[in-house]
Amino acid sequence: MKYMIMMFGTQKDFDMLAGRPGDGPTWSAEDVGALHAFMTKWNDDLVKSGEFVDAQGLTPPVHARRVQLKDGVPVVTDGPYAETQEVLAGYTIVECESFDRATEIAARLADTPHPQGAILQNEWYVDVRPIVDSIDDLDA
Amino acid sequence: MSGDGVEGLLRESAPQVLGALVRRFGHFDTAEDAVQEALLAASVQWPEEGVPDNPRGWLITVASRRLTDLLRAEQARRRREDTVAGWRLSGDWSAPAADRPAAATDDTLVLLFMCCHPSLSPASQIALTLRAVGGLSTAEIARAFLVPEATMTRRISRAKQRIKDSGLPFALPPAAERAERLGAVLHVLYLIFNEGYASTSGPKLQRAELSAEAIRLARTVHRLMPDDGEVIGLLALMLLTDARRTARTGQDGALIPMAEQDRALWDSTQIGEGVALVSSALPRREIGPYQLQAAIAAVHDEAPSAAETDWPQIVALYEVLMRVVDNPVVRLNHVVAVAMTRGADAGLDLLDELVADERLAGDHRLYAVRAHLLEMAGERAAAREAYEVAAGRTTSLPRQRYLHSRAARLAESS
Repeated sequence: MKYMIMMFGTQKDFDMLAGRPGDGPTWSAEDVGALHAFMTKWNDDLVKSGEFVDAQGLTPPVHARRVQLKDGVPVVTDGPYAETQEVLAGYTIVECESFDRATEIAARLADTPHPQGAILQNEWYVDVRPIVDSIDDLDA
Repeated sequence: MSGDGVEGLLRESAPQVLGALVRRFGHFDTAEDAVQEALLAASVQWPEEGVPDNPRGWLITVASRRLTDLLRAEQARRRREDTVAGWRLSGDWSAPAADRPAAATDDTLVLLFMCCHPSLSPASQIALTLRAVGGLSTAEIARAFLVPEATMTRRISRAKQRIKDSGLPFALPPAAERAERLGAVLHVLYLIFNEGYASTSGPKLQRAELSAEAIRLARTVHRLMPDDGEVIGLLALMLLTDARRTARTGQDGALIPMAEQDRALWDSTQIGEGVALVSSALPRREIGPYQLQAAIAAVHDEAPSAAETDWPQIVALYEVLMRVVDNPVVRLNHVVAVAMTRGADAGLDLLDELVADERLAGDHRLYAVRAHLLEMAGERAAAREAYEVAAGRTTSLPRQRYLHSRAARLAESS
């Protein structure tokens, strides 16, 4: 069974990581290096155990476009999110024996390093969601 | 022999073994699978039992047997009555083309032309080249490109199917097409190199290996076509660029611009080899884009510091390059060189002309160059703003961090 582990963040979180001056402390080169090393190891462990399927990171929400209908006509909005709104920041798909195992993998992310005194916009969390295997799962 | 030594020997032998099989039996697609299995068997067996006296002969024997099994299974599936004789030799596959040069080539080159055939997408050309010519496994290629193995398996089998369907003969392209087809081969090697060099994300080690593999393949082409100026140029360009690898990223993966790199970290052996190649090519041949880019890289690599770089020489080389290729990034680099030679204002004037180029519209590089030139000109507030605009336009995290830090530096000292 496949599971998607989803990570979230706000534009402000992205900005801190990118070193854009703002309210909170920005991340130093060492901080970013530590985060990089942690995520690389988390990812590589999954490749080694054969549970890795796919992983993608998304660019900051400011680069997003929203297409919606207005009076029956599709209208495009650039950067539709508020600065503090949480949006999907990236995901990793694993294929493993049980929901509990996928949860255990996701829980390792609780140790993600961050600078002393970093102000997180929201309480930290990740979501784990089982992926529909085939069209049969939807029909049944 | 150590594991590493065996691996080098296997990778070196891979295209030659595949070439021998395809010449004898045809069936490029199945032969390629058989060679991979023979390489795998050898990688397990040789470190334990020792390398056989004739390693290539061993591989050809094992791969031929495996190919026979695979073809039999395939035939059984199709319920065909044809016997071995049926698939043994078909005219196209067996006889060397009449115009095939006797000594100047070998099967590696034929395979390269085949894997880089213009009917394949660049992604397929790259994957197939790394597997059939580079001898890498599908898993290794998938890891290097950060895609699941299943995706890479599909990509490679589609590419092989396509080559099979096209009925391409196993021979060098006709003389009339050769220059153009060589261009495609060199472009694929260049893409492989850049994939390893330009990326700052992902498992670093495997990415660096892609650059090393591209250099190895370029050396092979150079050995087979020693007189081609663009082959020399590409190999030199790779060596001269790769020489700066360790100096160009900081701890957080951020890019360090050439002007601020610690030049003591540059690889002087590689620079020496690259410079010698460029010097051997430049005086006697028609000049192509790889040679010109290599010549520019050589001028940078030989300068003791950014300030002591021979900028007028770089401007001149870019001006020749712009006549050969129409590329907005080349024009952008030319602007920077002009600014270093004639001052920031001369650069800013040229930059205004470039803004009209639609291919660069909204590109963060345009704003980053403007920011640098404004900073050079002492226009601190405008420079700071341009850095922030550039940071907002790039999606790359290391680049954002670099541009924000430049902006912050201007804010602090003003």
